[in-house]
Amino acid sequence: MSTKQFSTHLIFFLSSFLFFSVTISNAQDAGAGKTIFMSKCASCHNVLKKGTGPALAGLEERHKWADHKELLAWINNPAAYMAKDPYTQGLKAEYGSMMTAFADVTLQDVDNIVAYVNEAAKPAPAPAAGSGEVVEEGGGNSIFFGVISLLLGVIALILMQVNSNLRKLSDQAEGVKTPAGIPFWRNKTYITLISICLFVFGGYMVAKGAIGLGRQKDYQPVQPIYYSHKVHAGINQINCLYCHGSAEQSKHAAIPSVNTCMNCHKAIQAYEKGPKLFDEEGNEIDGTAEIQKLYEYAGFDPDQPNKWDPSMIKKPIEWVKIHNLPDHVYFSHAQHVNAGKVQCQSCHGAINEMGEVKQVADLSMGWCINCHRESNVQFNYDSTKGNKFYSIYEKFHNDLKAGKMDSIKVKDIGGLECQKCHY
Amino acid sequence: MMKKALILTSMIGLLVVTIGCNEVRRDTGKVYMPDMSYSRALETYSSTEALTQAGIHYNARPVEGTVARGAMGSYPFKNDSAGYARSAVVKNPLDVAAVDMKEAGRIYLINCGICHGTKLDGNGPLWKGGDGPYPAAPRNLVTDPIATTMAEGTMFHSITYGKNLMGGYGSQLSTKQRWEIVAYIKAKQAEAAAPATAAVN
Repeated sequence: MSTKQFSTHLIFFLSSFLFFSVTISNAQDAGAGKTIFMSKCASCHNVLKKGTGPALAGLEERHKWADHKELLAWINNPAAYMAKDPYTQGLKAEYGSMMTAFADVTLQDVDNIVAYVNEAAKPAPAPAAGSGEVVEEGGGNSIFFGVISLLLGVIALILMQVNSNLRKLSDQAEGVKTPAGIPFWRNKTYITLISICLFVFGGYMVAKGAIGLGRQKDYQPVQPIYYSHKVHAGINQINCLYCHGSAEQSKHAAIPSVNTCMNCHKAIQAYEKGPKLFDEEGNEIDGTAEIQKLYEYAGFDPDQPNKWDPSMIKKPIEWVKIHNLPDHVYFSHAQHVNAGKVQCQSCHGAINEMGEVKQVADLSMGWCINCHRESNVQFNYDSTKGNKFYSIYEKFHNDLKAGKMDSIKVKDIGGLECQKCHY
Repeated sequence: MMKKALILTSMIGLLVVTIGCNEVRRDTGKVYMPDMSYSRALETYSSTEALTQAGIHYNARPVEGTVARGAMGSYPFKNDSAGYARSAVVKNPLDVAAVDMKEAGRIYLINCGICHGTKLDGNGPLWKGGDGPYPAAPRNLVTDPIATTMAEGTMFHSITYGKNLMGGYGSQLSTKQRWEIVAYIKAKQAEAAAPATAAVN
């Protein structure tokens, strides 16, 4: 290393040392910076990800931003700054819009914001070993019971063996002759018993299989993308109707189109903050990879979120339909959701706890009829417009008020008519 | 001997049942009468490939310029910067005083509340003060001057087509519902501003 090189290094080292000591003396407050960042910057900027504007991590290494006065000039009046600055002009071209001016931001604010950004940009400490390794054993109970019954069975066998041996011994000691036993395959009692068992069991299985024809209870197909309702509707509290809005308006609670997914996933590009995901077979699912699958359908480039619009969607996602009714049954979601005020979970079960969706009800006719026998009709008392669908049943309403009836079942208003479902 | 055999068989049976119950059902099973179960007509979600192969043109979209029965007329501006600039002059065609605010609030909570918050404070469950999965802070609709001074028409334009990271809701909400949401937000903004001005005065 030559002396000249050494001196440059030394100068660089000293200047960076000086820079750091200056920043320390400036008393940058990352906490205050976070508050300002969240209220003013976070709508468009993320520290680590591109959004409406660039990611802010490492911003001091870019352009002239190491000088916070330059940064302040840009933030206070972007239009004036950009007029003579090709770098920010390039940013506008890349992101499609110019930054909003924040004239009230001061130099101290900028220092604080940069302090927060630098702090937030540091890689998070690796989680302690062993944490997050909680494996949930779904079918644990049945295995446990299986083992216990196996053990009990073995013990019973041993005890019976001991018992018969003891009897033989005592018989021999007392000199009692035991007649040679008839082998069990020729013993009429056993033959009768076994045939009755077979008949009952076989009959039960045949009847069950026949009733099960065309029914799909517990059907849980593999979907093209591992979409977890537990994460979306459970943890993140997205309303069912956000995606399935047409449940209020049409026969079908429609599967959302790709642009609905992209409403959020334009920005949410990775699965980071939720619990670990597993499919029904117990394999771990990489949530981020599943979001990437969505981008293939959407034709979305995660590096350029602003360039995307719904016309760039390549193809629809072919989700597998789970709840199938036979063609001879008519079912309208709109009717049940609007007029019946039936909650989604009444028929679909605890969807917000399902990783992979499973058909909970068997959707048999008996199941439908049962609900129609028991559900009270939801008359719409409080709206000025009224529930016109039931207006002809005002008589029932008046009877109720007069105390002649205590409730009205669905069957009272034609809920058992064949043509309601079959036509 | 016989008892042993019986116990053995019953145990094997129990094991089979236990294992059988743990399996995930990935198939739809069989149906009794396929011609009554599967529709021959094109139902929602059925593939339209057969139509394409038969040379029938079908793009699943309404004819441009048509309006559904009972629906409001469509919004005239396109999703571009010129449309955004011109949107400011558009006024809410609904009679704002007659808008059912309960219904508007319900649609707001379903579609907007997850990001912009139930109190319109930009702190919905997807953001949660930075702890949620969403990487950008949703706009605070009651205090942020950008939102409070935004023209009705511009707000409608942004809801219809999306703005910045927000997606468009033209496909999820009808024209009427979008105007109802605009009216709801404006009403809430006025509500939030009223005590503030009262305090200043």
